[in-house]
Amino acid sequence: MNGRGRVARVRTIDADVCVIGAGAGGAVTAAELAEGGMRVVVLEQGPRHDADRFSARPLEMLARLYRDGGQTTTLGTPPILLPLGRGLGGTTLVNSGTCFRTPSAVLERWRTEFGLEALADEAALEPCFARVEAALSIQEVTPELAGANAAVARRGAEALGWSHGFLKRNARGCVGSGVCAFGCPASAKQHVGITYVPRAEAAGAQVIAGADVRRVLVARGEARGVEARLFAGGRLEVRAPRVVVAAGTIHTPLLLARSGLGRESGELGHNLALHPATGAFALMDEVVDMARGVPQSFYVDEFAAEGIMFEGVAGPPSYTAMALPLSGRRHAEAMARYRRLAMFGLMVSDGSRGAVRALAGRPVIRYELQEEDVARFRRGLARMEELFRAAGAREVYLPLPHGVEPHRARARDLKLMAFHPLGTARADARPAHGVVDGDLQLHGVRGVHVADGSVVPSSLGVNPQLTIMALATRLAFGLLGQDVPQTHEEIPCPS
Amino acid sequence: MRKPADPVRRGLDVFVDAAPQPQRSGLRLLMALGRRPRGRRLLARVHAVDQLANGLLSMGRYEDPANAVPLGWDADAIAARGRALRRTEGRP
Repeated sequence: MNGRGRVARVRTIDADVCVIGAGAGGAVTAAELAEGGMRVVVLEQGPRHDADRFSARPLEMLARLYRDGGQTTTLGTPPILLPLGRGLGGTTLVNSGTCFRTPSAVLERWRTEFGLEALADEAALEPCFARVEAALSIQEVTPELAGANAAVARRGAEALGWSHGFLKRNARGCVGSGVCAFGCPASAKQHVGITYVPRAEAAGAQVIAGADVRRVLVARGEARGVEARLFAGGRLEVRAPRVVVAAGTIHTPLLLARSGLGRESGELGHNLALHPATGAFALMDEVVDMARGVPQSFYVDEFAAEGIMFEGVAGPPSYTAMALPLSGRRHAEAMARYRRLAMFGLMVSDGSRGAVRALAGRPVIRYELQEEDVARFRRGLARMEELFRAAGAREVYLPLPHGVEPHRARARDLKLMAFHPLGTARADARPAHGVVDGDLQLHGVRGVHVADGSVVPSSLGVNPQLTIMALATRLAFGLLGQDVPQTHEEIPCPS
Repeated sequence: MRKPADPVRRGLDVFVDAAPQPQRSGLRLLMALGRRPRGRRLLARVHAVDQLANGLLSMGRYEDPANAVPLGWDADAIAARGRALRRTEGRP
């Protein structure tokens, strides 16, 4: 009965596996399990998005495609904007599509620091990466499609002799619409909402959007299912002996905590890494038209060993106006020369760690940028200016207050965003140090697994979507009791 | 009688409405200050706040086709090209 004396409608579904979340981890797990013959139910909190409504207008699309309108922010110095996608596809719907395999040095760290011998076995992960790469048509961006913004960075990197290259992305038939982060109007980006989710459905999975999972059900140390509230009305109970939690790095620890799970180690919600990032602009002599082409198409990894990575970033005038680190007359003058503006991003492989907890049902994210990472930004911004100058920039606009030189920047001077939250339910072979084990199963609970960025135990230094998808692939085949097949050709998606 | 809000202002309102509380109230206050000369002078004293208010208001300004198209960005044309490609090539 509810408070008004009416019996709340409860729908019950029986399944072999209930997957919570249809983003990078959840969609991949669901499709592989469904194709492997399991009865799968996927519960996604956000909606199904219709590409016909993708307007190429950033302001409008932020409100529609992102959680909290893309305005999720960390508490700390400096506050960091942390945009998260919402809906079928999760953050893959709104990311730049960049795909890197997990660096070997990171896997080595997982083996030695976290005891994850099997999870971080590079040879065993190879078929997982290959399978995802085939499913998402991952290929390197061509110079023509990369556009003039990438050409500016390339010219600078070549002049300085810095290591660089074109990025690999999950895109097919891309025409350089320039709005990957705001819903690809051409459906060229192969996000999981148009690839793995249709595959899961074609194999018989039930995908239910608008389902807000309240609790994972466990009895006598074993998974029993999931309770959810449907935004359309009523409640849903999925009875399943396996539950895969893939609600994302920020929301997975909150769901586990309110289910009374994963707290034994004291690590749940902690160890949050973000890859904090910022962007700088340059005024060039030539027309750049930065939004024409692939916004994130080029990288400079000369300083990757120091935890500093440069990657392309660009956007339409409204996005640029928001990000441009100027105000008043100087802002208006720079915007008047928008067509000659170039932009590039700087991402730090962070040593700082934050935490997430719930307050009145909402996430509160704390993250203080530590001195070692501030120092990385100082060095990175100085080199970013060098890169633009070497490319022939007339003026460089660094994301610092007027008059503050990079080497004098303090944490509070930095204007940061982050796109890669990781680690809040980290994997560690030792139950006292991690939330899940090397098979991504909760320590001490049979049948509850986690398959999103929250299990990634350290910063990667590169964009994480391919890592998350490869780990999800490994998990799915583990649950099926099969080896991951060797993949040699593209895996077709049902239309 | 109050004048109806223009489309750009409406877009900004939708964006701000999507923010969680208490950010939403803070952003509304910033926008109100940023729209007035005296408020702008006040904001200019704190760099980060000034940047945020300026960024928000200018985001709305440059979303307006009247300001974006002369800068080479025609959102409607980009969206229409995408729709046409999806139809002709059977993309999802």
